[in-house]
Amino acid sequence: MRIGFTKMKLDCYQRTFAHSSSSLTPIQLPAHLETHLWYVKPSEVKNESLLKQYLDILSPRERENVMQMRGEELRKSALLARTLVRTTIARYQINSQINPRSLKFRKNIHGKPEVDWQFSNDSLPPPLHFNISHTSSLVACGVTVDSQIGIDVEEKHRSIKHTVLSFARRYFSKHEIQFLASITDPQVQKLEFIKLWTLKEAYVKALGKGFSGAPFKTFTIRFKEDSIHQASEIVVDSFDEPTELTSNWQFSLLELANSHYAAICTEKHAASAEGKRNVPTKLTVWKTIPFVVDECVSGTDAVKTIYG
Amino acid sequence: MASISATFVGFGASVNLSVRTDNQIIGKSSSLVSFGLPRTGGFPSIRTSRLQICAAKPETLEKVSAIVRKQLALTPETELTPQTKFTELGADSLDTVEIVMGLEEEFDISVEEENSEIITTIQEAADLIDKLVEKKA
Repeated sequence: MRIGFTKMKLDCYQRTFAHSSSSLTPIQLPAHLETHLWYVKPSEVKNESLLKQYLDILSPRERENVMQMRGEELRKSALLARTLVRTTIARYQINSQINPRSLKFRKNIHGKPEVDWQFSNDSLPPPLHFNISHTSSLVACGVTVDSQIGIDVEEKHRSIKHTVLSFARRYFSKHEIQFLASITDPQVQKLEFIKLWTLKEAYVKALGKGFSGAPFKTFTIRFKEDSIHQASEIVVDSFDEPTELTSNWQFSLLELANSHYAAICTEKHAASAEGKRNVPTKLTVWKTIPFVVDECVSGTDAVKTIYG
Repeated sequence: MASISATFVGFGASVNLSVRTDNQIIGKSSSLVSFGLPRTGGFPSIRTSRLQICAAKPETLEKVSAIVRKQLALTPETELTPQTKFTELGADSLDTVEIVMGLEEEFDISVEEENSEIITTIQEAADLIDKLVEKKA
């Protein structure tokens, strides 16, 4: 079910501004086994009054955190991160129209942010899950229903100060070190390193434990090959907790906007947890400037599936 | 709260640190400057006042700041205080991990992953480092 493509003409967007969520295109919650991914590119958001409007929907605490960032670019991407979370969730208009400003958040016991739904005690909280990730040049928010989600985005060509192998030896598992060491082309090795990093980050964020709760050395992410030795599936093996059903998790890896890798990790559901067949998750991706324009980019050049 | 600006010159880099007189960090300006046994290259150490608990050494703070500056490619104008959070400077998880690696190399210590969550500011990094270095000795 593809959501249509709404676009306001940029030259008249100022007149069509509304200071309420009615200017956010409402959208249906993702289905079971479906993931939505929304992203914004800070370089495309320049209008000062729009940025002020974004600042206005944040909580006082969030505003404070944004203002503490050192430098205009960092402030902007921090602002867009919170704006993206609030406006994205508000689009799903659970039960009734939600003002993005009125959303409240809390952290789980490991510090993972989640929505603190303000409904009465009688109603069950909506089963919406989200996770965000940002780099200075791209901010993304993933949404699922009934399934934990973790996402991580990184610039494909981001620089690292250490060598790939010294980094891997310090933080990655033996299998992963071997995988990277076997790549002879340093540029390819670096790209594979970044991909692996995003996958590992997405996994620990999906678990909700974060980096310190699930040390990277304690699990391996690898590419399972099918009968014709093509990488068909990304799987995770956990050493510390073999009872933790690592077959519960599935991964997608994308190249976004030709500039970033995005890894998405979500919980598999009971039906497919036996792993007999990897049921692919449907992924829909939107590029957005909240309150201005949403563009469904699935199936375009902006989204290239690497795995999943 | 009184605020003191101290300029440390060493290690080929000039670092400006604002040192505030609160319980968290380094002592008051009235502390003795003692030329005790040289620790590194014989440069003077400022004795910390007894009021401070877990106060990191000035040279530790300085080294941590230098490593953070390098990792995050900060401009010299960017002011760093012991309370500065890495995230405020734009550090993401990969940067933080590299900062930890840089600190481990510089101080020849090993930081457990479980501790990486508590290293969010220059002060916290320096405190942990001094603790780990002391344990080694």
